[in-house]
Amino acid sequence: MNREEIYDLAPWSKHYGDSAQSKLEPPRDANLPAMIEAAGKRFGIKSAFTCVMPNGMYGNLSFADIDRMSDAFAVYLREVLGLKAGARVAVQLPNCLSTPITVFGILKAGCILVNTNPLYTEREMKHQFNDSGAEAVVLIDMFADKMAAIQRETGVKHVILCSVSSFFPPVVRHIIKAIQKYWNKAIPTTSLPHVSINEAIAKGAQAKSDLRVEVSNYWQKLKHDDLALLQYTGGTTGVSKGAMLTHGNLLWNVEQILALGRAQITEGEETVLTALPVYHIFAFTANLLSFYRVGARNLLIPSPRPIQNLQRAFENYRVTWISGVNTLYNALLNEEWFLAFPPKHLKAAIGGGAAMHSAVVKRWEEVTGAPLAEGYGLTESSPVVCFQPFVGLRKSDSIGIPAPGTAIRLVDDDGKPVAAGEPGELIVRGPQVMHGYWNQAEDTAKTLRDNWLFTGDVAVMDSDFMFRIVDRKKDLIIVSGFNVYPNEIEDALSKHDKVLEAAVIGVKDAKTGEAVRAFVVKRDETLTDAELLAHCRTLLTGYKIPAKIVFRDELPKTPIGKILRKELRKEAV
Amino acid sequence: MLTDFETKLLGVMMMVIMFGMGASLTFRDFLIAFKKPKGVMVGLLCQYGIMPFLGYLLAVLLGFPPALAVGLILIACMPGGTTSNIFAYFSKGALALSIMMTSVSTLVAVFAVPLLIEFYSNLAGVTGEFKIPAANVAQVLVVLLVPTILGMLLRKWNANLGAVVELLGGFLGILVILFLITTWVPRNYQLLLTTPWFVYFAAVGLGLFGMLLGYWLARVLRQDSNRSRTISLETGIQNGPLAVLIVTLTFSGTMQQEVLLVPVLYSLFIVLSSTAVTFFYRANATREALARDQAKIGTMAGVKPAAA
Repeated sequence: MNREEIYDLAPWSKHYGDSAQSKLEPPRDANLPAMIEAAGKRFGIKSAFTCVMPNGMYGNLSFADIDRMSDAFAVYLREVLGLKAGARVAVQLPNCLSTPITVFGILKAGCILVNTNPLYTEREMKHQFNDSGAEAVVLIDMFADKMAAIQRETGVKHVILCSVSSFFPPVVRHIIKAIQKYWNKAIPTTSLPHVSINEAIAKGAQAKSDLRVEVSNYWQKLKHDDLALLQYTGGTTGVSKGAMLTHGNLLWNVEQILALGRAQITEGEETVLTALPVYHIFAFTANLLSFYRVGARNLLIPSPRPIQNLQRAFENYRVTWISGVNTLYNALLNEEWFLAFPPKHLKAAIGGGAAMHSAVVKRWEEVTGAPLAEGYGLTESSPVVCFQPFVGLRKSDSIGIPAPGTAIRLVDDDGKPVAAGEPGELIVRGPQVMHGYWNQAEDTAKTLRDNWLFTGDVAVMDSDFMFRIVDRKKDLIIVSGFNVYPNEIEDALSKHDKVLEAAVIGVKDAKTGEAVRAFVVKRDETLTDAELLAHCRTLLTGYKIPAKIVFRDELPKTPIGKILRKELRKEAV
Repeated sequence: MLTDFETKLLGVMMMVIMFGMGASLTFRDFLIAFKKPKGVMVGLLCQYGIMPFLGYLLAVLLGFPPALAVGLILIACMPGGTTSNIFAYFSKGALALSIMMTSVSTLVAVFAVPLLIEFYSNLAGVTGEFKIPAANVAQVLVVLLVPTILGMLLRKWNANLGAVVELLGGFLGILVILFLITTWVPRNYQLLLTTPWFVYFAAVGLGLFGMLLGYWLARVLRQDSNRSRTISLETGIQNGPLAVLIVTLTFSGTMQQEVLLVPVLYSLFIVLSSTAVTFFYRANATREALARDQAKIGTMAGVKPAAA
């Protein structure tokens, strides 16, 4: 057997099971608007999105509402603003009711969506708007002042402002807005020329009936190869690049996700907690698109920090699914209210974004009684590449098997497959892989070679043909010539009861070349480094044991809670 | 004294306030508080340990006559006021803890308050006509549980309505105090002018000392500074309107007027002093949050945070 065949014969296929439920079905629809419209028609008056505030106040929109309003928004973009098909429109919102309306509206208008993090600085916003060539921006009112400061330096001609409380019932809406504005002073007064989301939808609806617009004409001709989304990535490692994701990429990935979860999904009956921001690709595809497609109710949480903001959502709704990252699950498991009343109706949880720690997964499953399956993916692959199957063999510390329809190889530095059981860079080929980086031919050529996406992650395939991510290629620590992968050390550290979370980096060392340094947040104040080192010695060989442990109050993280080792490295220098 | 109509109005407003308090809660909150009772226990200790004793101490040290003493002890033994939740919110405190403390102390009040009043009244030597019958107090408290439970049911049925009613109830709490001030003060300004300084001292001091002691007791019992601030406000802020209601239902005529003096003065000044304390706490909370952010920004920028 040659090295390619180790992977290309897809020995992991046996784990898919032979039930029809786990079969990958090709997307029924030619484009995302077709999928969105079909769900809108099919699920009609059922609740599609419920935005839940920390005190339990909520706003609710049905599938029919979303369909109607996103149609109106599409008409507004095309007829009132005069945007052309293919124009880039940025959405810079936290999770709120305006998010699905505008995201779906932009896609229905045949425009290209640019997901944008609302916490971006002015510099990052400017880069992203200029790089993508965004002509219009849908913006949260809380950050209107940042836009006002940079609009002249960008090509953005139109700004549509939304509030977290937009589309809430009237009295509640005013209370939330008044508190945000006058007490929290979170909404700046701004001279930024804009229209409100409500105005935009009213104007769009008016134009739709005046001009007798058939919204489907905007999108009917879109095909799988047409660009749908610019999803920016790599902001933490230099200049951020827009991954070009097509309608086909996203539609396929939705089907791949459903192949994973279909056995646990009753169409039209699920309630999924969306605490991760949907401007991030994980929640975008998994929650916003996939769960909409199957008629689930999405509970949108504008801000999951502090984690207590999720309490009323868990209390007031029958949450059956949840997606999250390791830090989110870990935070929930440290809440009294969550432990006292873990969600009874939970069927499954999915973890991703960054490696899940096996201690957290184990505890989560004990507490909730529902499986937590880890997935693995990248912005460049829409994002899901691998997942742990819910049925059959389940392994901790594993990303499971490639999503159906996905080819994977582990390769060495020359791009040649490595032997089974050896660590190698994970490369991916499949219908969910992006078409390249927007206007970045060089980076595209580096990342996409022969249609293989080079992920920069090092993985190992075990004897059951399941995969385990060892680490980021560039995070590898070399101690006296031995390879140490920070994830393994972090996982060992967080197995200690008194550890809340941990991060590990390599620092220069005169004797060993690099040395392992651990940053630890205590769960229990009494923890000492001697105690923790003794614990490490029971789990790790000598060269892997941290040379130094630094205790901290918290770890630097990205908006979705991924720990930023890069920042720790900077600090250590 | 309050007219019959005003007493009734006060009763109705109290019902609405308790309805609002109920609407701030879910049944689960209670169950969680009983499963993990530490924070609430500390709060209860401050509420029913510090305050009644403080009231008694002030009454004895300042040599209060029975009418004033009973008013002071009564207000000191009251459960936490619902307005404390608004103050906790505005001081960026632990809102959930504040709500729990108010509700649990109100629930416990049915048993604790009659006993405490009885105990401290006897200790202070209050006898005869000035004694508040324990049954009266218990009765009022039991009646007020009905709107509380209705509020909880409303919350369960519709979270939006519940949250709005909660807010209304909180603001009504302040309105009632304003109502008392505008109806009671003009009719009694003569009395206010002749009221000796030590009565004012007790009315203001009860709240302020309560907050101070509440904060430090909470700290000693290893609550963090944010929770301690919340417990502090909760301890100092008593359910003034409830005390007034009990007085008006128990006494009449000049007696009522005299006994009412301390509870009304307390209610008047607690709004002012807890507003001031709220601003102070808010500034502290903001400073602590900024220090945390600063530490974070420091690490983000790759430099150590400057020593403050």
